[in-house]
Amino acid sequence: MEKSNAATVAICDTGPLIHLDELDSLDLLADFHVWVPDAVWQEVQRHRPTALQRPRVPVERQAVLGAMAPAILTLSRALSLDTGEIEALAIMARAPQALFLTDDAAARLAAQQLGYRVHGSIGILLRAIRRHQLTTAEVLARLRVIPQRSSLYIRPALLEDIITRVQQEYGVDPFC
Amino acid sequence: MNNTIQLTLPSRLHQQVRTLVAEGWFRDENDLFFEALRRFLDVHRPELMEHFIREDVEWGLRGEE
Repeated sequence: MEKSNAATVAICDTGPLIHLDELDSLDLLADFHVWVPDAVWQEVQRHRPTALQRPRVPVERQAVLGAMAPAILTLSRALSLDTGEIEALAIMARAPQALFLTDDAAARLAAQQLGYRVHGSIGILLRAIRRHQLTTAEVLARLRVIPQRSSLYIRPALLEDIITRVQQEYGVDPFC
Repeated sequence: MNNTIQLTLPSRLHQQVRTLVAEGWFRDENDLFFEALRRFLDVHRPELMEHFIREDVEWGLRGEE
């Protein structure tokens, strides 16, 4: 999919970069401008460097500029956020229309408290159907291999619920 | 009452643990594992994670961007 100048900025936490790469799904971020906070970059570089090397998804390393807002510091302490998550929130403060991508419940809670839009790997996978990046069957196949191929934690019964929901939404044969 | 558990770690991860302890960030490995587990359990509250994932499903299927 072509990236336009109006593409939404997506500020990525470590989780979605690693989880989507584990599922060969990082290309689904190709229609975003992907910004990666410095600390997240270092963490991904250490644990899954391939996630930063996908030619179809150029990622921009972003540093935190200036002092951190007191609200971010307070929430970060209260929710024990790590450095990458704190930097992501600080970068969100200068791009509040951006989308924050995280699979961490505490980081997501903090971002919502600050009024930001937040989504995670599951949302990006399902979005691929309505954006015509993947077929329904391809998305279902990737959802089914999450427990084997990804370090994304998701309760098996919840994963089954999601698969059923996708099948119902798109009228797919439940046995496909 | 304390319980003892046995843990098998990849050597690279264990080396990172040892480095953090050696640099003085934690009293000992036990302290580090306790903190890591406490934080994990705090953040991974089931009802919160499930709520966020269900939000994500709705956005993924019916969102606008």
